[in-house]
Amino acid sequence: MSGTVRATRERASPSRIARRPSRPQLIKASITTVLLLFAFFALPELLSLYYVDTMTQVAVYSMVTLALGLLVGRVGLVSLGQVAVLAIGAWSAARLLFATTQPYPLVLLEAGLITMVAGVLIGLPALRLRGLYLALITLMLAGSITVVLATVNFPNGGHGFLGYNGSLLHIPPIRRPSIAASDPAYFRYSMVVAILMFALVLAHIKTKPGRAWAAIRQSEPAALAAGINIWFYKLWAFALASFITGVAGGVLAGAIHYLYSIGFPTQDSITLLAVTLMGGVFSLWGAVVAGFLYQFLPALLNNWGVSADWLIILFGLGVLQVLTTAPAGLADQVPRDLRRLGRRLRRRPGGDGA
Amino acid sequence: MPPWVNFEPFIVSGLALGGVYALSGVGLVVLYRATGVLYLAFGAVGALGALIAWSLTTRAGAPGWVGWLACVAVAGAVTLGYGLLFGPALAKRDPLIKAVATIGLTLILYGVMDLLWTASGGQARSLTLPTDNGGFTVAQIQVTWTQVIALAAGVVLTAATGAFLRFSKLGTAMRAMANDRDITATLGVPVRRVEAAAWLGCGVLGGIAGLLLADLVALDATTLTFLVISSLAAVLIARLRSITVTFVAAIVIGLLHDLLTPIASLTSYRDMTPFVIAAIGLLVLSRHQVMTQSREEA
Repeated sequence: MSGTVRATRERASPSRIARRPSRPQLIKASITTVLLLFAFFALPELLSLYYVDTMTQVAVYSMVTLALGLLVGRVGLVSLGQVAVLAIGAWSAARLLFATTQPYPLVLLEAGLITMVAGVLIGLPALRLRGLYLALITLMLAGSITVVLATVNFPNGGHGFLGYNGSLLHIPPIRRPSIAASDPAYFRYSMVVAILMFALVLAHIKTKPGRAWAAIRQSEPAALAAGINIWFYKLWAFALASFITGVAGGVLAGAIHYLYSIGFPTQDSITLLAVTLMGGVFSLWGAVVAGFLYQFLPALLNNWGVSADWLIILFGLGVLQVLTTAPAGLADQVPRDLRRLGRRLRRRPGGDGA
Repeated sequence: MPPWVNFEPFIVSGLALGGVYALSGVGLVVLYRATGVLYLAFGAVGALGALIAWSLTTRAGAPGWVGWLACVAVAGAVTLGYGLLFGPALAKRDPLIKAVATIGLTLILYGVMDLLWTASGGQARSLTLPTDNGGFTVAQIQVTWTQVIALAAGVVLTAATGAFLRFSKLGTAMRAMANDRDITATLGVPVRRVEAAAWLGCGVLGGIAGLLLADLVALDATTLTFLVISSLAAVLIARLRSITVTFVAAIVIGLLHDLLTPIASLTSYRDMTPFVIAAIGLLVLSRHQVMTQSREEA
């Protein structure tokens, strides 16, 4: 098994085996820390409220693309129904927030767990299928969930199990945690949640499940022969991805205060897969890039008065580009191209760093 | 349960819808068998064709048949162009990647359509075929010629495609390629040309389906583009293989979808029909999957 695992991208560098962080790793870690500290402390002060809200959305959707990237890149399962999963998370969180006075983190955890159970229930039968069929059945199930949601609606403070009351005149907003009532504070809050989710995924990738997923992605028969319980680890990946997406749904509920089923159309799952692939599914940075592509660019274009349709066209071109020339996405391609450019500049006589 | 009379009109509309689903499904299956590509942009090219037909006929004042021809030609040309451009580059990749690549085309076309024929402003477009006006009555049910054409197109094209694959030389080549592309190429079949024919055929069917659906359902980029998901249900039940099963499944889905309309408690869930049928069908059919299958599929 170790041969298969070492052959994969994330285990390729020998420095990982030596257990002592190498210099590039230390540099990478410090850059990440500085970026995170900057985003946490400085960003909400520098940006207008419009962009602070946008950054909250970026944090939310980075979690969603993180989960999808985990499925696609680490395990090799393509899901075309993640927006429906997000909707389940948002629905459960909204219902709990209206019904109870529990602290927000507890609600997020419960929304994640409820979504996880739903994801496992969907995954149990669906995981018998592979490849294209699995992708399509997730699309079909997402389509069904969307239709159900359009009928039952999101909770709006009504009573009963569904919590929806169509004749309410004053719909109360979905509450936020008391420590994060303002928009900048809520951005920081969602960033912390997102960091926790990234850490959760990182912890999985670095340990036994990550190795099992890598083996499954390489070759299912080989993984089976190596004694890996394929079914269990696939289901685990599905459960983890659903949990993260559910938590993201909970954060989303507080971020936008009012939820409508029209905000979660099936086709968004398709766009979501497109940006996830563009961002890159083999690195965790890819999820952040995808979050920016999906939420920041539209806000930027909207501010400039450019139609968002150009973005859809760009995403379409991006998918084709990624699939034909750059399978690891922007998160891999841009640094590599920059390094190549740097080398070329240095090699040129009279360049800066010769 | 409402009285039977309430269901009667929906039998006709359901059969018509099923006919178009069948037509779409057959196009998708033929292309998948010849090239291994599940063409998710099928709805988008049909929508593009229908919108161009609308512009030509209502804005430029062209006669109806020019618009219809343009619709089919545009859908065929876009599909063929995509096939020629990206088909060879992705030929060796697995079916999932090929299908996801057509999502790229779908998004491009969708963006272009939304840009040029923007949906905002509340103006509803409609594409009416002259066959809407004529019609006849069977057992007090009004039937338009468009509905007849939709069902007939489904039946005729399924039968014709079946015969084409079975008896013609090109069809035999397509079936051979479905089995093994490399061996077929070794045997001297012009693989690229056969694939191009399949792409063109699929695109033309997409254009016809787009034209009919624009009339039967709505002329709207979003609706038509993503209606392909419903036709996919029939294709999935046929496991991307049999056009007969595709046809039957499509008719059942179309009928059931429309027959749920008069039942008050289920009417708002009727759009789930294709998804639920596909999910059940797939799960039942996939009970006995073996590991070796994963090597060719994954």
